[in-house]
Amino acid sequence: MHFAVYVGYVVLLSLCSSLVMNFRSRRHIVAAALAAVLVVTLVSPPAAPAQGSLITAVQAVLNVINGVIQAALQAISSVRAAVGTFYQSVAWPVELIAQARVEVLQMMNRYRHLMAGILNINLKSATLPAPQALENLMRDHQINNFRGLRQAFTNAYRTIPPAADASPEDRAMADMDDALALDNLETLKATDSATDLELQAADSLENAAAQAAPGSAPFLTAAATASSIRSQALTQKMLAAELRQEAAKMAHGNELRKRGATFTLQLRGVLINLLQHN
Amino acid sequence: MPKRGVAWIRKHRLGTAALVLVLFATTPHTGNGQFLDPCCAMLAAGLTTISNTLSNVVGGGLHSILSVEQSISHFEQQVVWPQALISQARALVGQLQGTFNQIQALSQIPVNSATLPGSQQLEQNLLSRNPNQIAQTTAAYNAVYGTVPGETDASAQVRDLVDMTDAAAQAAMKRAIEIDSLADLELQAAGQITASVEDAAPGSAPILEAQADAWLIRANACTQAATADLLRLRAVDLADSSAELKIGASSTANLRQGLINLLQHN
Repeated sequence: MHFAVYVGYVVLLSLCSSLVMNFRSRRHIVAAALAAVLVVTLVSPPAAPAQGSLITAVQAVLNVINGVIQAALQAISSVRAAVGTFYQSVAWPVELIAQARVEVLQMMNRYRHLMAGILNINLKSATLPAPQALENLMRDHQINNFRGLRQAFTNAYRTIPPAADASPEDRAMADMDDALALDNLETLKATDSATDLELQAADSLENAAAQAAPGSAPFLTAAATASSIRSQALTQKMLAAELRQEAAKMAHGNELRKRGATFTLQLRGVLINLLQHN
Repeated sequence: MPKRGVAWIRKHRLGTAALVLVLFATTPHTGNGQFLDPCCAMLAAGLTTISNTLSNVVGGGLHSILSVEQSISHFEQQVVWPQALISQARALVGQLQGTFNQIQALSQIPVNSATLPGSQQLEQNLLSRNPNQIAQTTAAYNAVYGTVPGETDASAQVRDLVDMTDAAAQAAMKRAIEIDSLADLELQAAGQITASVEDAAPGSAPILEAQADAWLIRANACTQAATADLLRLRAVDLADSSAELKIGASSTANLRQGLINLLQHN
């Protein structure tokens, strides 16, 4: 690069010299001189920096590193350290997590068997064979013996009277009463079975809670809440059964009232006729 | 020769001056040597200092941040969100889904038991779990329990009582169909939420939990509606008992007056 500049300089100098020698007028000489100065100025290398400015530049870079960058890195480091400390001492302290797990275990040990024992107390009280059989089937939490339940129900409460022995209204109401009673007894057997499954699910969730981490607990709480929805749905089904049963009981009483009113009017008519004849 | 040169210069004074000016203006600048140049040595020393400073200050700072980040990451992976426990929780949710499917199946076991045509039709309607069947409830009810007696067959007081009791009983039966249907929908929703939880992340599970909470509130409201209807039914039943007493008192008074009239005529 430098060699090329020097060669160019020599060529330019020779050219200018020859021009000066050959020019006759002053204006030509001045123009040539200015053109040469202009050309050399344009192609000349930029001025080299002074030694003092280099030191200043290096020092400036060092100042930036030691000042702004170092301060920023220290700030980031201290913030991240604070976040870590916050996580470990406030948000998810390991000691409290372990303590919560222990408390879950303690409650499991304290209440689980106690509650199961209470729920499993034998409530059967019938003394005669037919009621005993019905009571056993009503309370066995099984759903595969509905036929046996119906037979036991019939044995305990007898069948619908034949058409010759009762009015159609009485037969219809007795059949409806028996049907709703049996429906609900079967529904309750299914509900008892579902309750057993719910209790098993609750035990499983509690077991998992005793080993859970903060990050896995939301799965368990969401599943538990979904289970609560199911529990509510089953409760509603039992309430619906109770509504049907109570409504049927009232309808039965009301039907008797309707017939009673009719009988009363008929009796009144008979009495009036009797008195008029006398 | 020198005399000729001096003479030439005198003759071309202006040209000579211009040439000197050009030479002066275009003299090349002196360049810095790469060897034994104090500027290069200073530059090298400056760059070395910068390098050392970068290593110590920037490198040290980044290393400090890295170690803190590693510590946080380790804590999060081992304590807060351990992958093994998350997988274990998901597996449990999957198992529970199976249990809950059994519960749903239990709630839909057919329990119809009536044997006569009229009661069979009413029972089928009541256990249908289908709100579209509510429109047929009244007809099926009347087929089993009869209608309100005509004006010639009962007193106005008795007819009112009968009609009110029938209305309460029928409303309760219709509500039972609604509640059964709502409970089925709740069971379906709970199944969908549980399936979503099985595929959720720790960060998305609380969203599903919030949705499940909303459904739980809805389910509680439905339970309350059913309980309210049960209370209404029992209130009407209680009022029935009271009405029976009133009707009995009124009938007794009428009978007494009739007997008095009969004795007076005799």
